[in-house]
Amino acid sequence: MPKKNPNRFHFFLFTFLAGLFCWPASAYAQIHPKDTEWPSYAADLAGTRYRPLDQINATNFSDLEIAWRIKTDNFGDRPEYKLEGTPLMVNGVLYATAGSRRAVIALDPATGELLWTHGEHEGKRGGAAPRQLSGRGLAYWSDGREGRILYVTPGFRLICLDAKTGVRIPSFGNNGEVDLKLNDDQDIFPDLIIGEIGIQSAPVVAKDTVIIGAAFREGMTPKSMRNNKGYVRGFDVRTGKRLWIFHTIPKKGEFGLDTWEKGSAEYTGNTGVWTQITVDEQLGLVYLPVESPTSDFYGGHRPGNNLFGETLVCVDLKTGERKWHFQLVHHPLWDMDISSAPILADITVDGKPVKAVAQPTKQGFLYVFERMTGKPIWPIPERPVEVGNVPGETYSPTQPIPTKPAAYSRNGVSIDDLIDFTPALRERAKEIASKYHLGPVYTPPTVSKLEGPLGTLTMGTASGGTNWPGGSYDPETHNVYVYACNSCIEPIGLVPAPKEVSDIAYIAGTAGKEVEVLHGPGENAGADSPKPPKRRTGGGYVSLNIDGLPMVKPPYGTITAINLDKGEFVWQIAHGETPDVVRNYEALKGMKIPRTGQETYNIGTLVTKTLVIAGEGHVTTTADHPRGAMLRAYDKTTGKEVGAVYMPAPQTGSPMTYMLNGKQYIVVAVSGGSYSGEYIAYTLPSTGE
Amino acid sequence: MNELPRGCSIRQESDDDVKMRNTAAIAILAVIASPLCLLRAQAPLAESRSVWDGVYTEDQAMRGEPIYRKECASCHGEMLTGGESSPPLTGGAFLANWNGLTMGDLFDRIRKTMPQSAPGRLTRQQDADILAFMLSVNKFPAGKTELYRQSEMLKEIRFESAKPSPKK
Repeated sequence: MPKKNPNRFHFFLFTFLAGLFCWPASAYAQIHPKDTEWPSYAADLAGTRYRPLDQINATNFSDLEIAWRIKTDNFGDRPEYKLEGTPLMVNGVLYATAGSRRAVIALDPATGELLWTHGEHEGKRGGAAPRQLSGRGLAYWSDGREGRILYVTPGFRLICLDAKTGVRIPSFGNNGEVDLKLNDDQDIFPDLIIGEIGIQSAPVVAKDTVIIGAAFREGMTPKSMRNNKGYVRGFDVRTGKRLWIFHTIPKKGEFGLDTWEKGSAEYTGNTGVWTQITVDEQLGLVYLPVESPTSDFYGGHRPGNNLFGETLVCVDLKTGERKWHFQLVHHPLWDMDISSAPILADITVDGKPVKAVAQPTKQGFLYVFERMTGKPIWPIPERPVEVGNVPGETYSPTQPIPTKPAAYSRNGVSIDDLIDFTPALRERAKEIASKYHLGPVYTPPTVSKLEGPLGTLTMGTASGGTNWPGGSYDPETHNVYVYACNSCIEPIGLVPAPKEVSDIAYIAGTAGKEVEVLHGPGENAGADSPKPPKRRTGGGYVSLNIDGLPMVKPPYGTITAINLDKGEFVWQIAHGETPDVVRNYEALKGMKIPRTGQETYNIGTLVTKTLVIAGEGHVTTTADHPRGAMLRAYDKTTGKEVGAVYMPAPQTGSPMTYMLNGKQYIVVAVSGGSYSGEYIAYTLPSTGE
Repeated sequence: MNELPRGCSIRQESDDDVKMRNTAAIAILAVIASPLCLLRAQAPLAESRSVWDGVYTEDQAMRGEPIYRKECASCHGEMLTGGESSPPLTGGAFLANWNGLTMGDLFDRIRKTMPQSAPGRLTRQQDADILAFMLSVNKFPAGKTELYRQSEMLKEIRFESAKPSPKK
């Protein structure tokens, strides 16, 4: 404990909470009694990303130094530039996934020294995987005697390793692995090698059950209405035996089958849980945030509400049986996958204690339910929404809209939202917007027409609001802290899909760039090949930027603190330095523009005893720092920025923290642009004593 | 990165992956030293070109479009807007994170890592054509000469997100 921090009470609290949160933390003798661990992806199974540490605080955050760093280039046959992992720290060892191999690495958390590494060489099966690279992380389990590390390879195999050595546990599954493409109540087609299914999120282990979801390729322009299905399974952590399965698309005789008309449950796929799963171990309940069914933007081949697509489902930890569910979006048409971990919160509403679950979303609504029953804490009535006219499409005439809390990010586009720095810029934005159909949340996609509309201009859809990093929860203040992209515009236009491209009637596209039979690579590309007919390229592409400026007003990205006792905002700030393009734009020089925040969707937050910590998603170059991004700290009660530290590249994985031998560390994954993946650990400078 | 100011070695090192490894001090030094370097860093050499100077042709972008659709669109999207796991190739985040680097950096990144199932499978010409297509979608102006396929030559072209003010 450095002299600077006199708060002895907190010191004892660490010890107490370390024991409370980090059971079973006592397996190895070398563990420092005052260590605070980060034993699962989101700190705990409740999805809080919270640790009650405050050695690093408002007075010293900007003094942080790099304790160690590790490049992930060599954990794979090529570097990766999108490192999304959050490490674990358990029993004095830091574990993470790393590199294009998705290797597991074990490091000394004080020095970064590599203790062991494990990689699986999967050949073509790995190369064909729908979700590649190092993924988000791994899971740790211990019975107090032995420790195990569990992770899923890109090729969709669950691997179980000895936490001390990194060697496979032979008694688990088939010599330490379970082939997740098998025993899934479906035949993965076309075969086990290239059959599309995988996952990039970290497994979760609750009690002795490992829970694994499934992910697929991006679904904007699917080749077929038919795909593999994303069921969720529980496995015995000791043996690898499958304990249960939950069919996210109901099978014959199961609840919800009638929400798939014309037999569409038979062939429709996806509908997986690709993001983090949350568990209440005490109640024995698992919370599953389910994604969209096959074909993100056109549902003509899956008439009906499509349960459990875009539905929060609560199942029993022991059996996988459904306890309750709430469909956030009926008949999904906007790629509003439930994209992040549900957050468990014990709150007080109208003077009564409530066990709640709160779900951040792309559409910027925070849905809050009683977590035993699924009853909304504040009413979520069905409201009429626009019905579209895409041929063959069916529409839900209503969608459930929360009355509280208010939407924390934009989820529609109106003229009011357009850039207004200068009248000229606003005119240009209006000109672009005039080519599209605009409207509030749940305005449906349109067929793209050259004469207009080119599509529906949306926010809060595919990449809007909160994506996979999710939010944080502070059990002290009962606040959820959540980053949101407030300017991620998604034009959704549909074009008829030629049979050679897809058997789906409409796929995402824009009129004016016909979806053609695709040429083989190199065809007509050589110097003497016949020139293709003259056609202005990019014809159908409308840039949604104006000389690089976002076409909507700031703030471009925000962090919001939402108090769950009241369902109200405590504060909201723009997160991230104003982009260079805005600061350097000639016509804006001399204007006083408050910090705008940044347009990016993958920012995770960390909450400690006093701070909310999050890095930037953009690189900037300012008078205060060279080309790079900042890791920023905010006072968690006010949102006021209290410190910042330089990172060489944007944050691409959510930060975590731990206390080891009396020192607090913050580890964050950075990468992007030409900067390959790197974990960086920050700590306070030594005091010289 | 020849556009970096000479005599500003700390900044040069901070852009060099290899030297960055295990060199915690450099980032911190860079923070301290940066104000000294910034003025020089922002003044480009007189003859250097940027993506605003017509560094690809319409024909080349047209060649790149079907290759993009075949090799890239399933993850990065028909409209280049990205997906949950694939960064967008247009818009604020894309422009910001390449701003200040070179076309050589972007080209090498594609060469090294894409397409994801078999990095480096495409020819340099195909990659250059895809890049030309990306430039056209991002509304950087086309010109009379094709985008190079040699990394060294592409390093002479700066990626700048903001349209420069008209030359006087």
